[in-house]
Amino acid sequence: MTATIRTALLLACVSAIAVPPARGQGAADRGKVLRAAADALAMGRWSDIGTQNTRLPGIDIVNTQELIASGTTDVGGRMVKADVHVALGYNPPAMRVDITPAPEGGGAAQHVIETVRETWAWNESQVGGGLVPGKGTATPAMASLRERLLRLWMLPFGVVKAAYAAGDKTVVSAEGGATVITAPLSGPLAGMSVRATLDAKNLITKVEARADNPALANLALQTEYSDYADHAEVLTDIKTPGHIVGKRDGRTVFDLTVKSWETNNPYLVFPVPPNVKAAATTSPTSR
Amino acid sequence: MKRVIATAAAICVAGVVLVAQEGGGARQAPRATNAPPKPTGTTPRTPDGHPDLTGVWNGLGDNLNGVPNQIANNGIAIESASVARDLHSAQLVTVFPRLSNRPQNNEEAERAAALLRRSGSNRPIYKPEYWDMVKYNDHNANEEDPSNNCMPAGVPRAGIPSYIAQFPNYVVFIYPGQGGLIATQTMYRMIPTDGRKHTPLQELDGSYTGESIARWEGDTLVVDAWGFNANTWFDQIGGYMHGENMHVVERFHRDGNTLTWTATVEDPDYLLEPWTTTPRVALLNPNPNAMLPESQPCSERDLAHIVTKEHH
Repeated sequence: MTATIRTALLLACVSAIAVPPARGQGAADRGKVLRAAADALAMGRWSDIGTQNTRLPGIDIVNTQELIASGTTDVGGRMVKADVHVALGYNPPAMRVDITPAPEGGGAAQHVIETVRETWAWNESQVGGGLVPGKGTATPAMASLRERLLRLWMLPFGVVKAAYAAGDKTVVSAEGGATVITAPLSGPLAGMSVRATLDAKNLITKVEARADNPALANLALQTEYSDYADHAEVLTDIKTPGHIVGKRDGRTVFDLTVKSWETNNPYLVFPVPPNVKAAATTSPTSR
Repeated sequence: MKRVIATAAAICVAGVVLVAQEGGGARQAPRATNAPPKPTGTTPRTPDGHPDLTGVWNGLGDNLNGVPNQIANNGIAIESASVARDLHSAQLVTVFPRLSNRPQNNEEAERAAALLRRSGSNRPIYKPEYWDMVKYNDHNANEEDPSNNCMPAGVPRAGIPSYIAQFPNYVVFIYPGQGGLIATQTMYRMIPTDGRKHTPLQELDGSYTGESIARWEGDTLVVDAWGFNANTWFDQIGGYMHGENMHVVERFHRDGNTLTWTATVEDPDYLLEPWTTTPRVALLNPNPNAMLPESQPCSERDLAHIVTKEHH
């Protein structure tokens, strides 16, 4: 093949790729924005082992994470200083929030461990309580199922995962000079959506949960994220927020500064205690 | 516009074909999946009718004749250039096409490998009092991994043997020691298939490979082992420790030129429930004259120079 023919073919290929399609622009924009958001968080990785024979695509490697933070949080309707220890995972969707309030003048507020996994929510008297007889208890808390799950999907990684999972139901828009991703949620959160605002580096700075169903209006939460960095001791390049502020109806319900955020898919598990499973079968939220 | 694109695409395809022909046409497109190879050929049998597992199996856990099986080993199957799935939970995993084919540098590759190998959902469920210890082990695996200092990998971590010799009343498994990714000592097992029973556990001194006996269940070789020491982990990743009451049942099934392996671990002291590994598949070395090379002497020299927590 002559160089001339080769050049002509190359030009034809480049022209075909460069000409934008008349339709499907929305899908292309959505794909670019989601990819940019995922890349900003460094969620995708690929293996180079066997590169001579293979060219594997990257995959979403975010599953389990553990963050330790301190600040103020709402415990029983009161804002108290607290240390917060969060274990979370997306496969399966689960989160354990362990709140240890700082001692106060009138005595220490209650230490709480709030756990959720898929369609179950429960409180633990100690981490893993209720799994081994005689070692702590688990109290079903199915009424909190949606709010706890929502907190998981309102994290930056949750938003990107939900947006990809929703496919063409995810909408990308430009509002006030910022890029916004709006994605519907599914499962127990069907009828809710998350709306995320990206900054110039494509990092998610604000997430609002919206309820299409008026019955879920109490879940209209908002979270703000800032100070992104790799906050892990085992470095992964994954970017996590260093400051998180949660609001309900404009009122701050937590304001946390991150001390560490391990992203190396640490060993975090969320087995459902037998009594929680049994209780869930009779709970209205499980039907 | 459609016609323009279709014409351009046809020219592109023609160009690719021409270029391929110009290059001899022998080059294959790189694989975009990590699916195990489909079995080919017949399964040879021994005179007593059992499948013959004898052969050199390239099942060193990570590399399957150049196919990066490591993600499938840890439970994420990349089924196509756009579909990936967690084999344990069946949950779809988002696929991100590569933005570049530039090889990763060592740091990028190390961090990617560590994340990829831990992203699956198939994890042993320990009793809650051990959750922090398992996490600590994995977090500090450079120092804590008992096999990192040239010790045997143990069972089930060793996975598929690189060589199996099958005789009428026993099988021999050989696991060559490796440097690099899996710095472990050479290990072998001689496993009777003559119907004998286990020695009572209380009479065994714990060892790295335990006491193994095997039986045939149909065409599957079932290796039952106990009598272990507590000096190994279940896998290269995860910090999955165990106690001396661990009981492991491995299943080997040959289909043509493939060997599929799984192991189920019971440990009433440490685990809430039995744990079964994600199946691994090894290919038979197609060279009839294949030999195991000499194992490289295992000499740990890296640890003293490691200053961060990154690890496989």
